[in-house]
Amino acid sequence: MLKIEGAVKTFFKGTPNEHTALDHLSLSLKEGEFVTIVGSNGAGKSTLFNAVCGTFMLDAGAVILDGKDITYQPDFRRAKTIGRVFQDPMKGTAPNLTIEENLALAYSRKKKPLFSPAITSAEMKLFREKLAEMDMGLEDRMKTKVGLLSGGQRQVVTLLMCTMNVPKLLLLDEHTAALDPQTSEKIMQITDKIVRENNITTMMITHNLNSALKTGTRTVMMDSGRIILDIGGAEREGMTLNDLLEMYSQKSNKQFDNDRMLLTR
Amino acid sequence: MSIIFGTAQLGLIYGLLAIGIYISFRVLNTPDLTAEGSFTFGLAVSSVMAAAGHPFLALLLAIIAGAGAGMVTGLLQTKCGIHPVLAGILTMSGLYSVNMFVMGERANVTLIGIETVFTKAMDAMPFLDKNAVKLIIALLATAISALAAILFFRTHIGLCVRAAGDNETMVRASSINVDGVKILALALSNGFIALCGGIIAQYQSFADINSGVGILVVGLASVIIGEVIIGKRSVTVGIISAVAGSVIYRIIIALATTYTLLPAYMLKFISAVIVAAALTVPAFKQTMSVNKLKRGGV
Repeated sequence: MLKIEGAVKTFFKGTPNEHTALDHLSLSLKEGEFVTIVGSNGAGKSTLFNAVCGTFMLDAGAVILDGKDITYQPDFRRAKTIGRVFQDPMKGTAPNLTIEENLALAYSRKKKPLFSPAITSAEMKLFREKLAEMDMGLEDRMKTKVGLLSGGQRQVVTLLMCTMNVPKLLLLDEHTAALDPQTSEKIMQITDKIVRENNITTMMITHNLNSALKTGTRTVMMDSGRIILDIGGAEREGMTLNDLLEMYSQKSNKQFDNDRMLLTR
Repeated sequence: MSIIFGTAQLGLIYGLLAIGIYISFRVLNTPDLTAEGSFTFGLAVSSVMAAAGHPFLALLLAIIAGAGAGMVTGLLQTKCGIHPVLAGILTMSGLYSVNMFVMGERANVTLIGIETVFTKAMDAMPFLDKNAVKLIIALLATAISALAAILFFRTHIGLCVRAAGDNETMVRASSINVDGVKILALALSNGFIALCGGIIAQYQSFADINSGVGILVVGLASVIIGEVIIGKRSVTVGIISAVAGSVIYRIIIALATTYTLLPAYMLKFISAVIVAAALTVPAFKQTMSVNKLKRGGV
């Protein structure tokens, strides 16, 4: 489904601040695979996502989605088939638009004539049903401005916006990190449900090693722009948190420098 | 009596300007200085075309001219990556030369004794008072434009424009070409502004190269007065209140000049003060509430 081949991205090239965020990284995902990505800050996880989404172009390498080379496609074109939820709940929704207007905009990824009504009554009904499935009580607040919702509620709306038209690829960039543990848990459940029901190929960045091993079908560990660990199937089944930490220090020859990762044990 | 008529006529015609400014300032969330140039552009095109004997075509061309100017600013902002305010200034500045060229290298054009949409309408309705006819034209032009703008913002593309002014990242993530949407919105905004200029030229039978100076502040004042008096719950309400604000703004000016409270040259100063004061209110409220907390109040 998704193939990343020899991706290279260097920031501030030719300056003392030169930093290789992606170092000849290759990764390939099968259809319906749910990959969790872990790694310390600066390992290149978000850079990888940005490269896949087209926020910037790669210095070298290629991104191939569903057999189509999208390496040089502008971001908004790729967004047609790639859904992305950010860590910041403010990023995924327009605060001054109502819930239904936000949903309508995202839903229009399915091609819509420019001068057709912004929201039809059929769409309104569909949005209500979808929101009701989320079980957050949002279905009765369709005309509420999204800016008035809590972070968790906004992430649910964003998640729905990204998956209503089932994307070929879903990217979750620490999408529960800004939420409290309970809400975070709930959003993870909703995510899992949506991904499984629609069999969406998904990549999820997380700093919570527990949920990295618990969620999805495969776990990838990154360090200094490279993949240092890629486990799935039976090997992953038996893996504990300590095994994972152990492997990290072995492979990268350093201890976890991010206490946040240690705290979420 | 004629003051009341005149005020209402001017207020309604300048309502078009207010709609245009509302789109750039409130919906797109960027103050667009192109307005100063595109207003005069519409005025120039309209006066020259009316002088050539095509008063209706003149208004259509004025809209196209303004939309073109807006697109240039849009391209500078998006494709060339120039700061939005500077992009507007560049277009505005460049338009001065263009306007001079359109007006045949003259600083002003008079349309005395030349057929305009107003004289044509007066001929068509001889049974009505001339002022009433002018009022009807102004009302029609503004009502149709306001309705068009309201309907536009209820379409899919209208929703895209609103979202682009609210959260660009989200619009990109929804697979919408933000650059294209912004260019379109600026074209629309300046189309309205140029139409306003075009009608003004025929209304006063006179066009001057400096008519656009300070017009952005006039538009902003109208939008803000409207918001204070009627509200800004939705885009529909916003557009209606922008037009209403424009009429109220003209009433304020008429009162000020009729009773010679102030000399006419002070108007721009007053407009600037109104806008600055209204935009200060949120920051002022914030400071006041912090001060209150400091004093131990609730």
